[in-house]
Amino acid sequence: MPEAVNPERNPENPILIIGGGPAGLEAAKGIAELGYKAVIVEKANVLGGTPILSSYAALTPDFRSAEDAMGEMIAAVQRPEVDIHLGSQVTAVSGQAGAFDLTVTSAVDGPTQVQAGAAIIATGFQHFDPGRETQQYGYYEHDDVITLVDLERMLKAEQVVRPSNGEPPKRLCFIQCVGSRDRQIGNEYCSKVCCGVAAKESIEVRKLLPDCKVFIFYIDMRMYGYWENEIYWPSQEKYKVNYVKGIATEIVKKGDHLIVRGEDTTMGRPMEVPMDIVVLSVGMEPSEGTKQMAAMFGAEVNKYKFIETVGGALNTVQTSVEGVLACGAATGPADIEDSISSASAAAMKAIAVVRKTAMGVS
Amino acid sequence: MASQRNVEPERIIEKEHVIQDGMDISGHWNRMFEQRVIWDFTPELLEKVGAVEGGESLEGCYQCAQCIPACPVNTVGDYGPRRIYRRVQTGMDLFESPDLWQCTTCMNCLRVCPKEVDMMKIMPAVRQEALLAGNVPPELQEVFENTLEYGNPMGESPKKRAAWAKKAADDVPLMKDKKTADLLWFVECYPSYHPRGVDASVALARVLKVLDIDYGILGQEEKCSCDSQRLAGESGLFEEMAEHNLKMFKRYKVRKVMVTDPHALNAFRKEYPALGGKFETIHYTTLLAPRMSELAMKNDLGIKVTFHDPCYLGRHNGEYEAPRDMLKAIPGVDLIEMGRCREQSYCCGGGGGGMWLDGFMSGHVSMRLSEERVTEAVETGADVLAVCCPYEVSRFEDAVKSTGNEGKLVVKDIIELVTESMGSAQ
Repeated sequence: MPEAVNPERNPENPILIIGGGPAGLEAAKGIAELGYKAVIVEKANVLGGTPILSSYAALTPDFRSAEDAMGEMIAAVQRPEVDIHLGSQVTAVSGQAGAFDLTVTSAVDGPTQVQAGAAIIATGFQHFDPGRETQQYGYYEHDDVITLVDLERMLKAEQVVRPSNGEPPKRLCFIQCVGSRDRQIGNEYCSKVCCGVAAKESIEVRKLLPDCKVFIFYIDMRMYGYWENEIYWPSQEKYKVNYVKGIATEIVKKGDHLIVRGEDTTMGRPMEVPMDIVVLSVGMEPSEGTKQMAAMFGAEVNKYKFIETVGGALNTVQTSVEGVLACGAATGPADIEDSISSASAAAMKAIAVVRKTAMGVS
Repeated sequence: MASQRNVEPERIIEKEHVIQDGMDISGHWNRMFEQRVIWDFTPELLEKVGAVEGGESLEGCYQCAQCIPACPVNTVGDYGPRRIYRRVQTGMDLFESPDLWQCTTCMNCLRVCPKEVDMMKIMPAVRQEALLAGNVPPELQEVFENTLEYGNPMGESPKKRAAWAKKAADDVPLMKDKKTADLLWFVECYPSYHPRGVDASVALARVLKVLDIDYGILGQEEKCSCDSQRLAGESGLFEEMAEHNLKMFKRYKVRKVMVTDPHALNAFRKEYPALGGKFETIHYTTLLAPRMSELAMKNDLGIKVTFHDPCYLGRHNGEYEAPRDMLKAIPGVDLIEMGRCREQSYCCGGGGGGMWLDGFMSGHVSMRLSEERVTEAVETGADVLAVCCPYEVSRFEDAVKSTGNEGKLVVKDIIELVTESMGSAQ
């Protein structure tokens, strides 16, 4: 039986975390709390990830301010066990589980050599670009066609107006499943969060603009778990948001309005509904960072280029490379709750790698 | 409401001749289509329902459609809460729509509704507003007026309310003579006036006497319990009738009331307490079921019987066993259940004002609900359709005739079967 080694005496074996969003921050915090060392490498110049970089107003489903929530997470990693490299990227990697050698390159200060016992890829997602492959909904044609992300920015500024004329909208709708569940686009998966985010934003719009009628056109509302009664039901029952089954086929401009053309499937009849603002509920795709890090570490990706986890239902964070874990939306669409949970799982498994290495066991 | 097709025939315009600048340019191109309405989502109309106290839950419908197969009106028509929601959302003003008057408040939709959209609250609330606006089917208006003037929906003389008792073999004691009794029998309107209701009342009076139950009736001092009028939108009338009945109950210090009518049971249990009525109410089947062995039922009836659960006894008030226990205790009764029974029971069409809306409903359904139910009863092969709600004897007897099933099926109150088995009174 090999002699146990106190991991705190192995400063050369921190755990590398790539990405400083919700998942990366949670992993770093967990690692530090257990007395191990973490190195966060974040491409942007700030921590907080997409909720901060995309100016989210409030989180789903609890309406907590994104700045506030991320601020709490960022504060939790301001401790000696966590080394933070902002404006930096991992540009080279070699070695193996227990002893990775990495080059971390800062845009300002140039390359640094970092050693790590394990790595956690927490590079997240990017929002689907609704003009990427098809102009079906005219995102780049009509000023008043926006995305969930654009509306989030407006909500944060507490000013929801039609981009075309600066007037508050009288009728606003969401179109669900834009960029998700679509074989032609290549994203066959459900992005999980858009139903909840649309319902959350619909409530916020109704609160901000009580005279604005709000509609959500959907295929099926996917409000799993508590989101059902936390956001979906209140949006309908308390905030009078109208849900109509059947997403629109196209948007045409008519005078001052956008006409949403589709079929109302519960009534089995065509619909042509005038709107002032159309919000496209865009889904998730792997971020550039996720694709780059998967390639750099040689981790397998699935057909959508999200990082493949290899443990099936029983291990949701192990990549195809030993000593390399992945969590959050780098492995597929995930909300913040899911990301936090998988980050903790990745932290635990990364520590196991480091500890086993230190103890000389496999 | 007609189904909305893309092109309605009335929206096709075709001129025989088109003269333009003095020149006849007629041809097949004369046919034109009116542009369809595009502004047809109307959250305002949903909010209008939601703004009425009691109407709020309609806005919670999320279109799962479980209510549609459960709705008895939809079986013979085009109806149900989900459809009402969608029609309102797409332009129907419920306050002015025929859809407002088709619901029988049978509660089968609420039984299956995950969002608790409650037609038992929505319908009376919106109907009340429609009444105030003078929008009410005339046949229902007549019933409201009768109830107000005579204390019963049929417009019968209030002085004759206890006249049925003369047909009973035994004395039917009046509270005004007795002053006090263990039990007040609230006879209600149809059992007092309708000939077939009277048959059941006479039978019940006999059984109460045999069991030596100390009871009295109010006779002329009784007025309609009015629960169906309440559900049809007349809450003011309901309160006026309740005030009168409660005054009588107080006068005789009534502690326990037995009803023949499940609608009265519902009113007394659920509505009267808020108006100051503190007393126990029991349906006659619940009272008698445990005492059937005390009756000398000597005749073996040798009949197959199927039983119709009244909506307001079963779903609304949870009593499914007592009527069945009574039937099973009668010698020679072979009880066969219909497919739709107990919690899933079909509706006779009489609740929530439906009792008085058959004329109106004929324009909206392919057959009466009672006819649909009688057809189901006949399919079981039963000789007798047993009932224990006074609306049902008349409704189902009419339906037996109109569906051509005379001679195949007879409709009887359970209590009539009991006295048949007891044989002629000596």
